[in-house]
Amino acid sequence: MTQAATKDQETAEREAYIARYGVAPGEADHATLLRMIEDQMNEGLKTKVEPFPETDKEFAALLDELRPLSADQLREKLVISGWLLKPYGEEEMRCQECMYYLVHKRWCDLPELSLPAEPDWWCRLWRI
Amino acid sequence: MANLLWLQGGACSGNTMSFLNAEEPSACDLVTDFGINVLWQPSLGLELGDDVKAILEKCISGEIQLDIFVFEGTVVNAPDGTGEWNRFCGRAMKEWVKELSAAAQFVVAIGDCATWGGIPATAPNPSESQGLQFLKREHGGALGASFTSKAGLPVINIPGCPAHPDWVTQILVAVATGRAGDLSLDEFQRPKTFFSSFTQTGCTRNMHFAYKVSATAFGQRKGCLFYDLGCRGPMTHSPCNRILWNRVSSKTRAGMPCLGCTEPEFPFFDLAPGTVFKTQTVMGVPKDLPAGVDKKGYVKLTAAAKGAAPAWAEEDIFVV
Repeated sequence: MTQAATKDQETAEREAYIARYGVAPGEADHATLLRMIEDQMNEGLKTKVEPFPETDKEFAALLDELRPLSADQLREKLVISGWLLKPYGEEEMRCQECMYYLVHKRWCDLPELSLPAEPDWWCRLWRI
Repeated sequence: MANLLWLQGGACSGNTMSFLNAEEPSACDLVTDFGINVLWQPSLGLELGDDVKAILEKCISGEIQLDIFVFEGTVVNAPDGTGEWNRFCGRAMKEWVKELSAAAQFVVAIGDCATWGGIPATAPNPSESQGLQFLKREHGGALGASFTSKAGLPVINIPGCPAHPDWVTQILVAVATGRAGDLSLDEFQRPKTFFSSFTQTGCTRNMHFAYKVSATAFGQRKGCLFYDLGCRGPMTHSPCNRILWNRVSSKTRAGMPCLGCTEPEFPFFDLAPGTVFKTQTVMGVPKDLPAGVDKKGYVKLTAAAKGAAPAWAEEDIFVV
């Protein structure tokens, strides 16, 4: 995809968020962002849950994908990070135990995501 | 009066710079208060060329009693074991080291390079560097595993990159004042008085470590540097947060991860790209866990800590 096409898509996504929620993700408050995430996931957004980044190299590659995204590209962030609204795996991994998760703020503090999250959610950037 | 001779091998002079910044006691105090006679030191010695060589030869022959031989930097063996890449006073430094060590009452290795090879000995180790009595974790080094100085002690290792100035001067004072017998050394011949506790001991981020709140950027005052930024404080033996640097701070206090420079493996992971300042994980769990903690215990501890974490742990509490 060309740079111009990417920009067009980003603008279209932003406008779609504004049409539905009255605000773009970059300016949305905690509750609205949370609703944006839940709505997209409940409407069937497929995220890249696999492969789990087993090594730091693989982990860093995902961060490299996330870094250029703007705060308004919420859907891409969810897809790349493999976001789920439930715990994952046999060990029931979840945000609550992730080191990037701020329990009281209910917030993912990983700079590349920087999104609200519920304790029982999960994404493949999970680290303990 | 104790005669001290200090030489440098494959070194950056960082430990000399550190030594000259010592405060308790200072380098001057060693001379004025503790009777140490500095025969020669690369940054302090007045003699040059043949005059230095004469001092070394007199130490070896016994004409001058050599009480403390301090070595900084690696013993360079390249090329092909000759040591010719590091010549000093007309011959390979490694030859001087061997003969001076045999003549000395005490031998003290200062800094990572002299203790276990440090950065120069990182693979592929082009200078064929060794520490005096270790190469990384392997016992032996340039002097051999069975070496003991005339006083009956192995090489006293004071690691660090650089070693803290006061670790250096305090150990030199202990040796010079006849208290070497009080020194208890660990398995890597480090004085236990400095190297039994961890870098984490006294770290101002311990609350964040306990409640599993991570720092995600250098210089951030909130959060622990262990979880994401590769800090080795919980696994590294040093008193960096007990005996502060410049009396005021430490790496971790300033928001900079501990690199584990007092451990034989330093620099870790042979400096492979992506391994510095990044906690290495396997399936999201750190490869190197705090000393004495296993994976199962770590996971349980994390769950409990996150569940119990108070709200303030997520804030920057160091308000200016």
